[in-house]
Amino acid sequence: MSLLALTGITKNFGEGNVLKGISLEVQEDELVAILGSSGAGKSTLLRLIAGFEKPDQGEIVFDGNVVAGESFLPAEKRKIGIVPQDGALFPHLNVYDNIGFGIAKDPNKDSRIQQLLKLIELEGLEKRKPQELSGGQLQRVALARALAPKPKLVLLDEPFGALDAELRDRLRNDVRRIIHAEGVSAILVTHDQEEALSLADRVAVLREGRIIQVGTPTEIYNSPADIGIATFLGESVLIDGKVTEGKVATDLGKLTALNQVVEGQSGVVAIRSENFYLQPNQTGDSEVVGRVFFGHDAVVEVQTPTLKIKARSNGPFAPEVGMKVTVWVRGAVNFYPTK
Amino acid sequence: MQKPPVLTVVLGVFAALLAIVPLGYLVLRLAEGIEAASAELARPRTFELLSNTVLLVVSVSLTALVVGVIQAWFVVRTNLSYPGFYAVVATVPLAIPSYVLALGYVSIFPWFSGFWASWLVLTMATAPYVFLAVSAALLRVDIAAEEVGRSLGLSRLQVFLKITWPQVRTSATAAVLLVSLYVLSEFGAIALLRFDTFTRAIYNAYRSSFDRTAAASLALVLVALTLVIVLLERRYRGDYLMQRPANPRRLKQDLGKLQTPVTLLLALFGLLGAGLPMAALLNWTMIGSSATDLGKLFAATLSSAGIALLAAIVVSIFALAVSIWVVLHKNKLGSFIEGLLWSNHALPAIVVGLALVFFGANVTPWIYQSIWLLMIAYLILFLPNGLAAMSTPLAQVPKGLTEVSQSLGQSYRKSLTKVILPIASPGLIAAAALVMLTVLKELPATLLLRPTGVETLATRLWSATEELAYAQAAPFALVLVIIAGLPALALNASVRKTYAEVNEE
Repeated sequence: MSLLALTGITKNFGEGNVLKGISLEVQEDELVAILGSSGAGKSTLLRLIAGFEKPDQGEIVFDGNVVAGESFLPAEKRKIGIVPQDGALFPHLNVYDNIGFGIAKDPNKDSRIQQLLKLIELEGLEKRKPQELSGGQLQRVALARALAPKPKLVLLDEPFGALDAELRDRLRNDVRRIIHAEGVSAILVTHDQEEALSLADRVAVLREGRIIQVGTPTEIYNSPADIGIATFLGESVLIDGKVTEGKVATDLGKLTALNQVVEGQSGVVAIRSENFYLQPNQTGDSEVVGRVFFGHDAVVEVQTPTLKIKARSNGPFAPEVGMKVTVWVRGAVNFYPTK
Repeated sequence: MQKPPVLTVVLGVFAALLAIVPLGYLVLRLAEGIEAASAELARPRTFELLSNTVLLVVSVSLTALVVGVIQAWFVVRTNLSYPGFYAVVATVPLAIPSYVLALGYVSIFPWFSGFWASWLVLTMATAPYVFLAVSAALLRVDIAAEEVGRSLGLSRLQVFLKITWPQVRTSATAAVLLVSLYVLSEFGAIALLRFDTFTRAIYNAYRSSFDRTAAASLALVLVALTLVIVLLERRYRGDYLMQRPANPRRLKQDLGKLQTPVTLLLALFGLLGAGLPMAALLNWTMIGSSATDLGKLFAATLSSAGIALLAAIVVSIFALAVSIWVVLHKNKLGSFIEGLLWSNHALPAIVVGLALVFFGANVTPWIYQSIWLLMIAYLILFLPNGLAAMSTPLAQVPKGLTEVSQSLGQSYRKSLTKVILPIASPGLIAAAALVMLTVLKELPATLLLRPTGVETLATRLWSATEELAYAQAAPFALVLVIIAGLPALALNASVRKTYAEVNEE
């Protein structure tokens, strides 16, 4: 049985924004990322799970009990940990008291706090006040505070949003390690696709109040459910195509579709920019017209007789502007028939 | 760093000398007659005054805290209808001098006097300070931290006690200490309500005998009491500066069935703090309108305005000089002078008035009973207000602008007058106006030091109440509230900020 199950959750959260029938399950010891742009309803969904708001319709079952729907269990009774956006440490308490806040009556309070301090690698900083911590330290303390009472589920609301890129990478790994060490399930809400893909066991894509697709990061990346996800998650080039003889005929040749196709259907194929192969060829019909070099790779803009595409190419070997090339597509592509 | 302009230093040092001389003189004279003074203080009467004063200070502080916190909580943290209106209601007593408030009550209930009367009037007069401080703090409490508390198993009450209140406590403590200082130095309302505390006793001792030792020694005890609270206050002022959370979310508790009772309670506070007494004064004014001497009223208004304008100019010149010195050219002497001037912010006006009477009569008879001695009193009393109000707009002028101006060939002095002062001028003018309005409402020092024959709105009001002529006093009180109180409320920066934040959704 799953640890958390949402069924048909509907919630109007103001200014015409609505969650429309959300269903989602989270298993024990699983990290699920909810990915969506701002205004999609991510934070509202999180607040419903935490118990700060009641759904208009639908049911939430947590740990075998109905917590919203027929009956309602308020936040303080749910034992679900939360880590808000900027940590929200209690400004009047030091690190030690922040972590120990939820386990005041626990006889093993001290050893638990020490254990968590070790886990978040902040031993020796017990006496620091929140104002004296860096952004990354704040977030780790906030995580430890949420984990202290040993909840079965923690909710992370854009926990890395305010941090710079390098720190974010480090903290991401830390959070993954800490959550797995504690054996706790987690839901991470984010608008950062890289974060969702790299951190989560499963990703749920939320758009305009609906969950469009749920799957492992690989599934979501390789087989996006629609064009919207294909372009939102990673870079894709969209090209018109028509199914002929089981393949999709496009201006770049006949491509194999990953999904089921019906003969004669027209639609669009989504090709990942890293799936282009640019072969230098003096007699090629395409020309490199732009090139942005990042070191490890480069984005190369190519003009074919009919299309302009952006391809990601291995940095050191990326062709220069002005070179003639032949464009190949590696592997299979996703085909989305026109409705 | 550039040296401060000579003129600012001269004015600053002069202000500092003025600030310490009168009180110093009071201490010296008492030290000479130490035996008479200690005999005076050993009387049981002193202990009675002390216990009365302490009782009033403590009880008013506590009830003002309760009233202010209740108002702030409901306005900021619940779905109360029309929160902006109740924010106005909570701050409106600031526009009414407390002796006017007292007058309003006495004019309805002639028996209204003594401890409970003073307690009620001063509680209503000072609750706005608590309201402003606590609602500002409540607006800065991080809602996310409260939610974390609930996710960790705390009930709503526990969340308030363990998470919200600790974040508000510092501001609330600072406000309560401010209230204590207010009550300690309050003269008009307490005298009108005939409750014997130090301020009333000092005034009576001064009025009733030629031996001024009694008044002076009581004044020093009052200063000592004030000092205790000022030292306490220093510990709490700006303990930790709370930032507004980056993404402030408002979480408003649903009042549900409590909406009506809460509205009634807040309206009751408004009625007690402003509505009832002001209605009484309005009523008296109408009843006595035929008897009102419009000539007297006009003359008093005019001399009040003239005196206040002159005082505002004098105070502003010194405040601007010292602010330029400490904000733009901070050095050790400047900080010392600023600290010295600021230390007078809690000095009861009655003590300043008394000290200047002694000093004027014995040392500087050529300005005794002239407008200039009164101006010195205002300078001592209101320079701290002026400094606080003027240093903010100066500090807000971006630092680099003077340097840019100088790099474009302007001298430092030109940069100051052509760049910094014009940019800061709206704030500086508001500060000067605020000083003027504060002077308009001043009673005890004006009473002791005004030149013979000069009557202001406040002194006219005072003498009318001494004769229990409420119908005569009422129009003076009303004019005072309209020309001084309400504009001061409208100019008050923290009041404006609170309104804006309460109304923003």
